[in-house]
Amino acid sequence: MSTDETRLAVRIAKIAKSYGPTVALDSVSIDLRPGEVHALLGENGAGKSTLVKILSGVVKPDSGSMSILGSPYTPHGIVDARTQGVATAFQELSLLPNLSIAENLMLPKMPRGMLGLASHRSAMAAAGRILSDYGLAHFDPDTPVGVLSLSDCQRLEIVRAFTHAAKLLILDEPTAALADVEWLFELVRRQKTLQTAILYISHRLGEVRTLCSRATILRNGRSIGTVELSGASDENIFEMMVGRSARETINALPKTGEAAPVALGVKGLSGGILSDVSFDVRQGEIVGIAALEGQGQRDLFRTLIGLAKARGGSVEIDGVRAQISSPGAALHFGNGLAYLPEDRKSEGILAGLTTASNMVLPIISRVGRSGIVWPAGERRAARETAAVVDLQERYLHFKIDELSGGNQQKALLARVIMTGARTLLLFDPTRGVDVGTKQSIYEAIRKFAADGGSVLFYSSELPELVHLAHRCIVLYGGRIFAEYQGDAIDEQTIVGALIGHARGAKTGVAA
Amino acid sequence: MSAIAANPAPRRSPFWRAVISGTGIVALIYVLLYALYAFWQPDALSVYTFTDLVNNSTPLALAAAGETLVVISRGFDLSVAGVVSLTNVLMAVYPLDGPGGALVSLLMCCAIGAVVGMINGILVARLGLQTIAATLGTMIVCQGLALVILDAPGGMVADFVTYTLTDTLFGVVPIAGLFLVAAIVLWLAFRRTNTGIGLYAIGADEQSARFSGVAVSGVRITAFVGAGILYGVAGFMLSAQTATGNPTAGTPFLMLTFAAVALGGTPLSGGRGSLVGSILGAGTLMLLQKVLFSGGVSSFYTGIFQGFVLVLAIVFGNTVARLLRKDDAR
Repeated sequence: MSTDETRLAVRIAKIAKSYGPTVALDSVSIDLRPGEVHALLGENGAGKSTLVKILSGVVKPDSGSMSILGSPYTPHGIVDARTQGVATAFQELSLLPNLSIAENLMLPKMPRGMLGLASHRSAMAAAGRILSDYGLAHFDPDTPVGVLSLSDCQRLEIVRAFTHAAKLLILDEPTAALADVEWLFELVRRQKTLQTAILYISHRLGEVRTLCSRATILRNGRSIGTVELSGASDENIFEMMVGRSARETINALPKTGEAAPVALGVKGLSGGILSDVSFDVRQGEIVGIAALEGQGQRDLFRTLIGLAKARGGSVEIDGVRAQISSPGAALHFGNGLAYLPEDRKSEGILAGLTTASNMVLPIISRVGRSGIVWPAGERRAARETAAVVDLQERYLHFKIDELSGGNQQKALLARVIMTGARTLLLFDPTRGVDVGTKQSIYEAIRKFAADGGSVLFYSSELPELVHLAHRCIVLYGGRIFAEYQGDAIDEQTIVGALIGHARGAKTGVAA
Repeated sequence: MSAIAANPAPRRSPFWRAVISGTGIVALIYVLLYALYAFWQPDALSVYTFTDLVNNSTPLALAAAGETLVVISRGFDLSVAGVVSLTNVLMAVYPLDGPGGALVSLLMCCAIGAVVGMINGILVARLGLQTIAATLGTMIVCQGLALVILDAPGGMVADFVTYTLTDTLFGVVPIAGLFLVAAIVLWLAFRRTNTGIGLYAIGADEQSARFSGVAVSGVRITAFVGAGILYGVAGFMLSAQTATGNPTAGTPFLMLTFAAVALGGTPLSGGRGSLVGSILGAGTLMLLQKVLFSGGVSSFYTGIFQGFVLVLAIVFGNTVARLLRKDDAR
């Protein structure tokens, strides 16, 4: 046991972390050997980012223990973690755009010159040495980071982590914006020979197989297991990521008529990173969008509803060519298009108002009599829809920010349904809500479709797509990568497609 | 894809960078205004007139310099009005004569500013209050204290302070200007410390700064304390100008410091800017008053012109910045 432990570079044992009632990490245990590149795999929300923050010293775990080379590791901050040889290249990049490359590399302590003040010259020299050491000699250390491309910023973030990581290097989605992947692979291989343990987080299984020897799979905040990558097939891994029983709980969906009229027709839509996306949503149909973070799903929804400008393409609602300039305008084309936004706090609720007021807001002119909105009328209108989304009546006169996240979401869904629009766009409608609320939301969506409405929804949770969607479209790199119908919607297939593995489809779309 | 890396943005010499920065623009405005002033008022170039101008500008310039520290860290500090009032009142009610007395008074003003700044910093960095809320509170408390100490304009500032600090050194150098020079020298040194670089970092992106290892709370508190000390010195210099105490002396500073900061090219969104620009911005606002006066414009119109110049300078600065970005992107 003791010899085993000293052979380990890093031992992570039963780490747990909760934010209030939300359990981010339940129990995570990982062992890393010196010089090992170890992959961390898991769906969105499996707990990867929380684990990264704990290892980097940004967040303290509630329980569990960590050790490095046998001695306990309890960092009280990111600087402390660095001095103990642990550094992270963060997914959301932690560079300061108003400072130079050199300053970013040196933070928080600049090399000193005369009078103990930061010396521009030695900072430039030190940064220049680091840059050329990591194959970026063509970068001028005096350049402000704000003018660099996203890809170059990512390289800088990676280089900075390498310079501090003697014992453990954490790379969180390091290739998300990287143009030249081989550059990173070269650096990783070199660092391996220095006996640094590397925790490599990526959604791209191809990369993981190239670099890593073992992988640990996280699911719902638990480490499900560690596998030798050479002995595990992609299907094995996807199955561990998703869980075996996922498919079994599916409810039979009512069939839609193939010939039902098209409610939402999208042709050649481009905007943001979205390029040339075409699909139809028929009346009575629920279409799901599956995508990893940042594959264009946000651009798709925001462009459809008029929050972002389309570069090209056309949208038809119930056969009417629609030039949508705002969510308000979207209600007036055909039978109307309504949107449930992504971020309930900042884009959804009006915190100071009651739940009823929040719900009737879009139809306020219909509720009012001679221009005045009477509270009783407001509540009557809200009550009818509240039943549809299974929101208890007593909540209607509460201030909406006093409600739980789940009930807020029900109220917002009710608001969208109350607009009377026959086509709904729902962006991650069950984000951060509990299981019971999810069922109510699914019921409301199904009922809406059964009554002839159409729904286009994005979800970060695959089981939801499987449960709910008649048809599932996978976005990758801003394009439609694959499309599955009915029984072909299967979590393992979709997990593969999400990272660019589709049966019969070409991989590596404009990465 | 790597084209941008291989061909990074064109580098500019420090001189050229200063010219196109906000500081350069406000310096240009200042020179143009001064030329106009000299045109209307032939003695504008005399030592006497210049000293008078520097004396008039110094309190606002120091206050604006302090405000700049907080603005760069992405915050607003309203306590400037309170600290200036409080220190002015104390100078008038408890005059200490002679050079020793002046030094003690100066230290006292600095200490008051430092304590108020420390309280602001703790409220913001440790207790998580919004900067406007926290400093609004300390401003009101300080103004209340000033009223308790002196309930109506009056009192007498020590003669040594009044005479010496408005005088010139060797007949040419305004002594008040030396305070500004000292503030600039300290600033140039400070921006080359870890805390100084951290100040720009937290102003741009607090989360990234924390992930980069910057001690965010410490930097924020330092900014507020530094600002408070400068407000204290501003109150000290104001007392030397007015020679008397007024419990509402600081009130006009509240809006004018922000105007000076913005005019000096420091965006109120944080992460960029320079204390030197703010000092020039304050100088420009005061010079404008003189120019209008010598041009025969009623002083009632001063505010209108100050507002116009402020907006024009910011629009001009933004336009230059946008043109340069286009240049870089090419």
